[in-house]
Amino acid sequence: MHLTDDDIIRSISAHSPEGIEALYDRYGGLAHTVALRILADRGAAEDVVQESFLAVWRRGSTFQPGRGSLRSWVCTIVRNRAIDRLRGDLHRTRLDTPIEGQTIEPAVTDPWAAVALELSGEEVRKALAELPLEQRQTIELAYYGGYSQSEIATKMEVPLGTVKGRVRIALDKLRASLADRLEAPWQMQ
Amino acid sequence: MADAVNCDEAQDLLALDAVGALEPGERAQIERHTATCPTCAPLAAQYVDVVSLMSAALEPVPPPARLRRNLMAQVYAEASAAETNPWWRRLVAAIPASRGMTVLGVAAVAAAVILGFWGVAGRGSAAAPITYVVSGSTSQPLVTGSVTLDSARTQAVLTVHGLAPLPASEVYEVWLIPADGTPTGVAFLSPDPADHDWTAVVNGSLERFETIAATNEPVGGSSAPTGSQVLSGHLGPS
Repeated sequence: MHLTDDDIIRSISAHSPEGIEALYDRYGGLAHTVALRILADRGAAEDVVQESFLAVWRRGSTFQPGRGSLRSWVCTIVRNRAIDRLRGDLHRTRLDTPIEGQTIEPAVTDPWAAVALELSGEEVRKALAELPLEQRQTIELAYYGGYSQSEIATKMEVPLGTVKGRVRIALDKLRASLADRLEAPWQMQ
Repeated sequence: MADAVNCDEAQDLLALDAVGALEPGERAQIERHTATCPTCAPLAAQYVDVVSLMSAALEPVPPPARLRRNLMAQVYAEASAAETNPWWRRLVAAIPASRGMTVLGVAAVAAAVILGFWGVAGRGSAAAPITYVVSGSTSQPLVTGSVTLDSARTQAVLTVHGLAPLPASEVYEVWLIPADGTPTGVAFLSPDPADHDWTAVVNGSLERFETIAATNEPVGGSSAPTGSQVLSGHLGPS
């Protein structure tokens, strides 16, 4: 039986082990790939993935549909834990991953969830390759390296404003590029 | 109170937030702005989603099978604990899962479940555990054993005697097989150095499965059986 992301969210909300099982079966591979990209250590990546899914199981209802797709939520949790691990800062609570309080809700129809399902890795690689090198390096230093904007500015020897500009322009270009490839009815700002 | 930002500044911060590059204190500025700005509020989710798509460009690295086993063993153990929560359940849930079950851990689980059975039977308040017989296959005909399903029907312990020792590069992986379906890997057998028995804890209901079996597989397990079948048992009335 094929479960939609909404089905999985409902199941997690009901604190069902099957919900975590379905979440892992759908996004465990992605989570492992992201954790391994950040940590470059198989054992540490496995630990982070297991901790991330256990955190979802134990804390449950923190998914907020207004903040992105289920896929993005999983990526964010895993990425943040991996970065914490990378920094050896296991006790820091990430503000961008709320850990309790909210009630889980089914996601509204999300065009980017469809984008994620339909885009191939090659298409995303192509979109990234179209970015100027410095823009791609900036977003990768932040997302996979865990550097803050000021740390990136120091590392790349550019003003803070340049880092801000590069990140925003890069994401706007990616957004436009990926939406174009799918001919998604996307309203750009 | 954080300084107010305009849409242009807020969108810079939203993009930085999506890649995790905000400085401390900047989140408050975003939240104050997006709380009242219909233009910028939906942009937050769009940036987060587009950043998560970056991971699609990575070469996928499938996780080892043991990761799923360990995760779900922990989840089912905690689910059982939440249902009934006696002390022996809490013991099961307390077993570390980040690096697979240790021999000691498996022994503790087995002891806990057995004590649980004893405690439940002593109170006479729940269904009796169910035991099924397992036996060796042609590759290891001297193998004997049993799988005992707990009274809550949510966890079973497989105990096997007579299995041959394995090289360090292999494990015995346990599979549940439905009547007309694909085997599902559910656990690894661990040796008890004291009495040469092997045990595995299987979490979840056995209801939809007809057969339990074990094969030798590479360390970390396989997504489907690849090695020799060493034992099997019918999960139903004999």
